[in-house]
Amino acid sequence: MVLRVENLTKRYSETTALSEVSFEIPDGTFAVVLGESGAGKSTLLRILNGLTEPTSGGVYIDDEEITNSRSDVGMVFQQHNLVEELSAYSNALTGTLNRTGFFRSLLSRQPAEEKELALEALETVGLLDEAGQTVRSMSGGQQQRVGIARALVQQPELLLADEPVASLDPSSAETVMAYLRETAKTRDLTTLASLHQVNIAREFGEQFIGLKQGRVVFTGSREELTTDVLEEIYGHIETEELREEPDPEAVIDTAPEETPGIGAKP
Amino acid sequence: MSADSDSVVGRFLKGVIRGDDADSAVRQRHTALKRTRLLRRLSQFALLVVIGILLVGSLVMVGFWREEWIQYWPEFTDALTQYFPPELYFGFLPAVDVGRYYQFWVEAGLVGEAGITLAIALAGTILGAPLALLFGILGNERVTPFPINFLFRGVMSIIRSIPSLVWALIYVPLGGISPVTATLAIGTDTIGELGRLLTDELEEIDDGPIEGISSTGADKPQVITFGMITQIVRPFIAWSMFILENNVRSAVGLGIIGAGGLGVTLSIEQQTFKFTNMMATILFIVLLVLSVEMISQRTRSYLRGGDDDEGLSLYDRIVGLPERLSKSLF
Repeated sequence: MVLRVENLTKRYSETTALSEVSFEIPDGTFAVVLGESGAGKSTLLRILNGLTEPTSGGVYIDDEEITNSRSDVGMVFQQHNLVEELSAYSNALTGTLNRTGFFRSLLSRQPAEEKELALEALETVGLLDEAGQTVRSMSGGQQQRVGIARALVQQPELLLADEPVASLDPSSAETVMAYLRETAKTRDLTTLASLHQVNIAREFGEQFIGLKQGRVVFTGSREELTTDVLEEIYGHIETEELREEPDPEAVIDTAPEETPGIGAKP
Repeated sequence: MSADSDSVVGRFLKGVIRGDDADSAVRQRHTALKRTRLLRRLSQFALLVVIGILLVGSLVMVGFWREEWIQYWPEFTDALTQYFPPELYFGFLPAVDVGRYYQFWVEAGLVGEAGITLAIALAGTILGAPLALLFGILGNERVTPFPINFLFRGVMSIIRSIPSLVWALIYVPLGGISPVTATLAIGTDTIGELGRLLTDELEEIDDGPIEGISSTGADKPQVITFGMITQIVRPFIAWSMFILENNVRSAVGLGIIGAGGLGVTLSIEQQTFKFTNMMATILFIVLLVLSVEMISQRTRSYLRGGDDDEGLSLYDRIVGLPERLSKSLF
């Protein structure tokens, strides 16, 4: 499906987080929102997911305005936001909550097809053997893959990922991004991920939206994402480093903001 | 103390006089620092005086100074020899006659009485805990909107302000002076105590899982169940064990007013001046409470600490117990 965002504005009491943001993502495209911290990436994704209300503007899926989008939109969070006490399988199964009654979900009495769906999703992210493991005991990368599985079980029309690899070490980040892209491709899911690591974005993204201080400063393909454009989005320093190491694979290890976050296990 | 503060005052006065012709910034700063330090010492002294007055006043109110001290002292020492009956072991080694305690344990069937005490505590805890969970959750602002959640918090506060002994008195018309009444009292007490602990736990849970579950399009009861309650299951079990410990002690206390179990034996032996039997009962209570505490603490450290705790030797367990306890509490 096609995602269209029109004149999206979000104002908090003093600051404007998003200002007249408009763009369109074609069906089945893996799009990436780029921008510095505070550029409005998270706000944009939270609005698309219905976690935050926009001040004005609209979001359209296949020309249909969406208001309460939670169940149609799968979301992968930076901090995974899983229920750590439960198993990977139970977490994946929470993706069915929007179509399961309260008592059925309480007793885990989902229909057999739903349970199969959860296991299939775990297989997609390569965690079928770990299905019974408690999420708490898993590594950061594995946890994030469970997060992807949960979003898949929702059978969403749109997949959002808010800084999905920001708290992971470089090699786990690669793995998680690869699974995310694979998943999106095989299921033909329109995906929008916010990333602050330019190298990862370049490697995995097909379409790019550059945000700066709440405004769209760039939309275009990988080829159009030149160093000049990056300089406009990020300012000087990061692109300097990019010039030094043009090979994206090699840059991942030295990317400035890519130190493993707290709780990230290799 | 007074001599010391005199000299401090003297130095202060000198400082003030010298302060007038102080020229350098260093000297001025020095004087200012001295003054602050003097003020701090004076206020510390004032605080000590206030605490002293409070102590003396309270002791006067309880009639602490009385001639009976001298009159009753021999009776107390006499009671002590009955509490701890002396016995010469092997004809030369003086020690407490443990045999007499044991004899009473068997005679009075204390194991059975302990069973009743334990049953009162267990039944009260198990009956009260689910209600405590319910009240704790409903008292949370994220679950129940602001003014209404204070209704549940208020109920828990009122329950807590009444000691379990008084709850037993309230329930006497319903259950008589019996273990049933004691169970009801302890159950009620558990709602207030455990409920409050759970309210605190709920204040500190992560927003992540709540947001994660919300993002799947789950409805509010589902968000509460999967996003919030899942996070307090471990603390709930851990705190329940802690409350069980307290409830065993309460059950002994309730027994003293006649509600059954070891407390009854204790009060009967005391009222009939059989002090050796009374001490035998007290020691048995200590054994019971300690065993419950041990089981409870093991469970809690397992739940709280996860795997950190494994591989500790018995020595480490005993020596490190206070530290680990405080860790598990806070």
